[in-house]
Amino acid sequence: MRRISRILFLVFTILSITISTVVVGQTLVKGKVVSGEGNLPLAGAIITVKNSKKSVTSDAKGEFSIQANNGDVLEVRSLGYNTAEQKFSGGSISFTLTALSNELNEVVVTALGIKKEKKKLGYAIQEVKGEDLTVARETNVVNQLSGKVAGVTVIASPSGVGGSSRVTIRGERSLDLNKNQPLFVVDGVPISNSVSGASGRGNLEIDFGNGAGFINPDDIESMSVLKGPAASALYGSRAANGVILIKTKAGKKQKGLGIEFSTNTTFETPLKLPKYQTVYGQGNGNGGPFAFGNGAGGGLTDGTDEGWGPAFNGQSYAQYNSPRTLNGQVIPFLGGDLNAPAGSVITPTLWEAEKDNLKNFLQTGKTITNNVAFVGGNNDGDFRLSYTGINQIGMIPNTDLKRNTFSLSGGYKLSSKLTARAFVSYIVGESDNRPSISYGTESIMYLFNCWLPASVRLRDMKRLWQPGLENVRQFGWNYNYHDNPYLTLYKNTNGQLYNRILGNVSLKYDFTDWLSLQLRTATDWSNERREYRRAFSTQRFPFGQYRETNIVNEERNSDFLLTASKEISSDFAFSATFGGNAMQQTSRFNEAVAGQLNVPEIYSLNNSRIALVNEQSKVGKRINSLYGSAGVSYKNKIFIDFTGRNDWSSALTLPEDLRSFGIEDNSYFYSSVAVSAIISEMVNLPKYFSYLKVRGSFAQVGNDTDPFAYTQTFNRSEPFGSSQIYGETSSLANLNLKPEISNSYEFGTEAKFFGNRFGIDFTYYNSRTRNQILAIPLSNTSGYTSRRINAGLITNYGVEMMLTGTPIKKKDFVWDAFLNFSANRSKVLELSDGLTNYVMASRRVTVEARVGERMGSMFGIGFARVQSTDRNAPYYDASGQYSGQMVFGTNGRPIRTTNRIYLGNYNPDWLLGIGNSFTFKGIKLSVLFDTRQGGKLYSETQTVGREGGIIMETLEGRANGYDLSLPGNGVIGQGVVLNSNGTFSPNTTKVTAREWHTAWTAGRNIAEGVMFDASFVKLREVQIGYSFPDKWFKKTPFRAVNLSFVGRNLMVWDNVPHVDPENMSYSGGTALPGIENMSMPTTRSYGLNLSFKF
Amino acid sequence: MRQLVKLVFGTLILVFSGCTKDFREINTNRNNPTSVTPDLLLSGVIRSTMNQQVSEAWSIGNLVAQYNAKIQFVNEDRYLWGERNGIWNNVYGNYRDLQNILTQVGSNTSSPYFGVCLVLKSWMFAQLTEAYGDVPYSQAGKGKTDGLFQPAYDKQEDIYNGILADLKRANELLATASGPFSGDLIYGGGAASIIKWRRLANSLRLRYLLRLSKQKSVNVEMQAIINDPTNNPIFTANSDNAELRYLSAAPNQWPLYDSRVGSFDEIRLSKTLSDRLTLMNDPRIRVFGRPTQSSVSAGSPVILGIPNGLSDVGALAYNGGPQNVSRVGYTFACLVCNDPGQPAPLPDAPRALLMTYAELQFILAEARQRNFISAGNAATYYNQGITANFAYWQSVVPAAYNLQISMPAGFISQPSIEYTGSENELLAKIALQKWISLYFNGLESWHEWKRTGLPTIVPGPANLNNNLVPVRYIYPLSEQALNSANRTAAIQRQGVDEINTRTWLFK
Repeated sequence: MRRISRILFLVFTILSITISTVVVGQTLVKGKVVSGEGNLPLAGAIITVKNSKKSVTSDAKGEFSIQANNGDVLEVRSLGYNTAEQKFSGGSISFTLTALSNELNEVVVTALGIKKEKKKLGYAIQEVKGEDLTVARETNVVNQLSGKVAGVTVIASPSGVGGSSRVTIRGERSLDLNKNQPLFVVDGVPISNSVSGASGRGNLEIDFGNGAGFINPDDIESMSVLKGPAASALYGSRAANGVILIKTKAGKKQKGLGIEFSTNTTFETPLKLPKYQTVYGQGNGNGGPFAFGNGAGGGLTDGTDEGWGPAFNGQSYAQYNSPRTLNGQVIPFLGGDLNAPAGSVITPTLWEAEKDNLKNFLQTGKTITNNVAFVGGNNDGDFRLSYTGINQIGMIPNTDLKRNTFSLSGGYKLSSKLTARAFVSYIVGESDNRPSISYGTESIMYLFNCWLPASVRLRDMKRLWQPGLENVRQFGWNYNYHDNPYLTLYKNTNGQLYNRILGNVSLKYDFTDWLSLQLRTATDWSNERREYRRAFSTQRFPFGQYRETNIVNEERNSDFLLTASKEISSDFAFSATFGGNAMQQTSRFNEAVAGQLNVPEIYSLNNSRIALVNEQSKVGKRINSLYGSAGVSYKNKIFIDFTGRNDWSSALTLPEDLRSFGIEDNSYFYSSVAVSAIISEMVNLPKYFSYLKVRGSFAQVGNDTDPFAYTQTFNRSEPFGSSQIYGETSSLANLNLKPEISNSYEFGTEAKFFGNRFGIDFTYYNSRTRNQILAIPLSNTSGYTSRRINAGLITNYGVEMMLTGTPIKKKDFVWDAFLNFSANRSKVLELSDGLTNYVMASRRVTVEARVGERMGSMFGIGFARVQSTDRNAPYYDASGQYSGQMVFGTNGRPIRTTNRIYLGNYNPDWLLGIGNSFTFKGIKLSVLFDTRQGGKLYSETQTVGREGGIIMETLEGRANGYDLSLPGNGVIGQGVVLNSNGTFSPNTTKVTAREWHTAWTAGRNIAEGVMFDASFVKLREVQIGYSFPDKWFKKTPFRAVNLSFVGRNLMVWDNVPHVDPENMSYSGGTALPGIENMSMPTTRSYGLNLSFKF
Repeated sequence: MRQLVKLVFGTLILVFSGCTKDFREINTNRNNPTSVTPDLLLSGVIRSTMNQQVSEAWSIGNLVAQYNAKIQFVNEDRYLWGERNGIWNNVYGNYRDLQNILTQVGSNTSSPYFGVCLVLKSWMFAQLTEAYGDVPYSQAGKGKTDGLFQPAYDKQEDIYNGILADLKRANELLATASGPFSGDLIYGGGAASIIKWRRLANSLRLRYLLRLSKQKSVNVEMQAIINDPTNNPIFTANSDNAELRYLSAAPNQWPLYDSRVGSFDEIRLSKTLSDRLTLMNDPRIRVFGRPTQSSVSAGSPVILGIPNGLSDVGALAYNGGPQNVSRVGYTFACLVCNDPGQPAPLPDAPRALLMTYAELQFILAEARQRNFISAGNAATYYNQGITANFAYWQSVVPAAYNLQISMPAGFISQPSIEYTGSENELLAKIALQKWISLYFNGLESWHEWKRTGLPTIVPGPANLNNNLVPVRYIYPLSEQALNSANRTAAIQRQGVDEINTRTWLFK
């Protein structure tokens, strides 16, 4: 690989030398080039004498001299500026260039916060401006990268309010699903994006959000996505999956105080609701009537929670919400009040379908965001103070999120050489309740998708308690298995209080105009408190429960950076940086659980009925680093950058007592080189080319591992009476871990056409990650379930393409368009120790890495099928007549495979985002479509929803009820049966609908029948905005008034039944992509955004 | 260029690495110890394996042996079994800590922990091989010590030989064992418990020898044990029973105590059990099942089970619905599984069983009847077994429940029980009483049925297994990914990896 970069460099050097021209003398014209904005000198502008080959470039002061004759026309070109011409008629000459709107001279923020002109970069970088994040907004800002940046996949957890998001850039590089996320950097300082698992202690998984989701979009000036390791090499270990650089807003030089204000209100409704059958009510398929007795089998099929009951035919049955009478008098008790006076009877009420239980249950979510910022600045300093308040009320009842962010950013020139800057952001997040996700009694989708027959009118359960037993006995429709969903949301809450301080201070000293030193220290400190409450009579907690968790995460970074930038000659410029960083992470976890309570409604550890259970841990890590970069540019046409970094990690340092047992390797060096050349400045291209750049880079990134990887501990569990209990952790340590190394290269090109009206940016990349440190699962027969090793070789390659264009550009009407396309393939080339596969995650299906195959492949039990190739394998059909058909048993049920088979890959084949914006006078309409092609999804909603007779599909086989002798009833599976003589014949056995829908998965064993193509097209974003002319507000203090209607996730076109194809589930803090498990409906949001300045 | 960079960095590295001194301390885990004493591990192994006995019995053992039957979610009862990894994960998981104890004890074989670990290990692997057939044994649990990550599967025969040898050795070592011994949740630890562990070791030997008797002559070994009670002590009374007594306080209550009522009530008394016990007027039926709720309402309480292996619809509709089918005994019920008007059951009444004195008596009865041993009298053993089981339940079921389960006068002399008849009739009588005594004891009844075919198990009418009663569990699907070659080798030796493949021991 190094050879390729060398060759590239050589080629470019030779190219540029041959193209350089020689100047022959006439009159020496002296002149200067300045930019239209602020009359700043423009270096690197190219001055040519028209119709000759003479050309020079301007120096750092914007000055140039060139031989010319009187009457010659001088032309000045500079990247990002309109070309200017002047006739030379003696004397000195000066050019003022006006900037192009497309900003070819775009300055982007690169690693370590160093600003660079985009043209100088040898790698792909894509930027999203702050205003693109704050108009059509999301509570979790990360979600907004979807479709806007090529190669970025964002999957948000569908948890309603401000849930976490899983971001991957250029596919999956690590075998550890938790380690494929990019690093988030705010103002040059890495921040924590950790997810602290939230299940355990009998409670289901809850998504409390992840670190990056708490960043306030209103404080973001820009987000740069550094995609490849070359871009992020300077960040080291954690940047192997790319970096999302966030630059916060600063004050600007201006007259007086500026006040900016924006307000945004959006409403959230479900984008897609599951489709339930509303023909049959509660029951078990026996065809008989229903009667509520005690909700636990005391009546007629009232203990079952399935939708296989009688059809709605206008009959009446005693139901949970039917009135009760005593001696003929109506009493204030309902069917479900089990404490009703003895002898009272339930009066049957109409048996009817509640068609919109879920729709009625959900409410319109509302998010109100207000932001006010005070900005100011003069020659010596700048200042910005902002406040943002987000108040979100979830679509799911009684779920909410409030977040207040106070940010202060300022800088001051203490002397002509010394500048100080500081940024601090204080974030207070609070949620009274975040919903439980996944499968189980605490999750409401578990109820809706699997176990809530249409006969149950849910809204009557708003009455939470049985009368007289308030806070003690819940009221509901089924006491065998289920909690009243209103109780789940209003009483069994999962609260969160979150405090975070994010900030940095820096001092910059300019020794000369080309040498400076920056010292900076930063912290990201957060304290999170979680409170889980469970009321009395909750199914899993008859005596209630109270659980309290405190999590403190801290990351401190201190660094120095020496920067030199000097022009060596008129042709060569040199820049270099040298720096060092000390990073320290600490996280503390503390949890106490009162497993049962004495007195209802007192949620305090003091109220524990049994011994408290505590858990505590403290984990720390430190990485010291030295790094540097050197860059050379030639004539502002060719740019070469080298970087190098060495890390020392505490996580790869052996503890004292293990020192002599292992081989320590805690220091690792890696480097990168990137080259770019502006071809359009070097050769004469056809006229329609306005700009052509090629780039290439090679990079290595090293990585360490989690803290305490070397220690194998014995963990305490609850004692048995007076006997204390410990057990060894089931993960096996390894004392000989080496750092991981990932090598990658990319090359690409960027071109602009027709006066920069159209542009294309193309990248091919390839990376190989070796020696990944991961806990590989072991057969537990070895005594351990996993072991940490350096394993594998994974290659990851793909293309990214961005097209931009302005098809129409008239005075009053402009049409801008962009397209982002990316395709990625990750393949497993090797696993270590003779392993052929590695199980990354499992839940009914396993996500496996198998040597020679794509990452993200899913395996599970399939349908046995007839085959005509292997005589010895089961279901061999020599005739081939039935080859491929499903095999059924004589009972009419599909037969399953013994072994797991390949069921598909969850990774998409390609991603496409298409955006269009139309500006007519002050009105701007923009529309963004986001497409994902390919990828499979396993749906647990299908598996269990079929069993429960709840989802629409379960109408198959019961067109006329349950009597198999009637037409339309029962299902004959399409396939064959194996005859006793070894031949096959078509299956003719009919099974009942209820049997069929359970047989389809063989009782939650076969996964093949519930795999779906997760491709989709989404109308991701629509904005209609109007910028009011300032003259309208002449007599008011308002300026820059903008009003926009905004919508996000407005439509989806897809093939997955019931759930959003953009889906994943969580298990123990690990995201499980490709596996849907009772996901909440995702949201469509629309609303209004108003902003103005004073 | 690269050289230069390296040189510069090299120099700086020397300077900089001075700042990494505290790295060692930072990377030292102070949250939990890296070694603990054997007693702390032993208690964990015992609690975990004994809890597994309960959950395995509840979820499958009691169903396949037809003590219980399902009225809802009837897949297991219809023999639609997926992977059942409970025992597998439990045994190998706990074997880790057993190995840690053995490592700590080292060559000190006189430590009581050594012998006790051998007893537990034998029992654990017996459970495993009886459920799955060939399993990793000799190479198992050696991930840490030997770097063995994909252990070979041993032949069931070899595993059985190992188990018997270990039990014999445990008995011998424990005879001279001394030193501290605690963490014993079964017998309470201390010197006094050691004799009980020896009795358990020898009783287990008899259990496994009898189970082996179909494949090998076991006469000599059995006889040797019986002949020398001084050196080979065996259970002498219910007080020797190997069991875990739960506590009244959470979280060490009877494992089913915090079930949801619906989950508990999916499982009911099996008609097989209620018919058999009713026929014999056996009052123990009141331990295993409760009078149906509708019969109680009607004022004439009757205990009536439901046939195993009905269809989804059939099971729930049987006899007019759940109100007419007996719930599982009050003794074993969950907190909210009491009948109307009844107080909540006690959380510490039922116990987890490893082996009982009653079972031993039935083993001896059969061994004597078949002349594997020559000592004693089969009828005496048989009668002692029945009496012991009655006594056991009387000690377990709280008096406050008022179930009246003392043995009625003349009970044993009923023709259906009295130890008379042909050889086959006698063996059937032993098997029947033994079956009753093995209620809620893991999978023991199932294994006994696989050996003897007694008492008869008739697959339910809606079974999905071609009218065959399953005879093994399939290997965990994860083994296909994680230990593929060895699993394949075992299957080639043993037969297809499915529930109807008989393993060597039960052929």
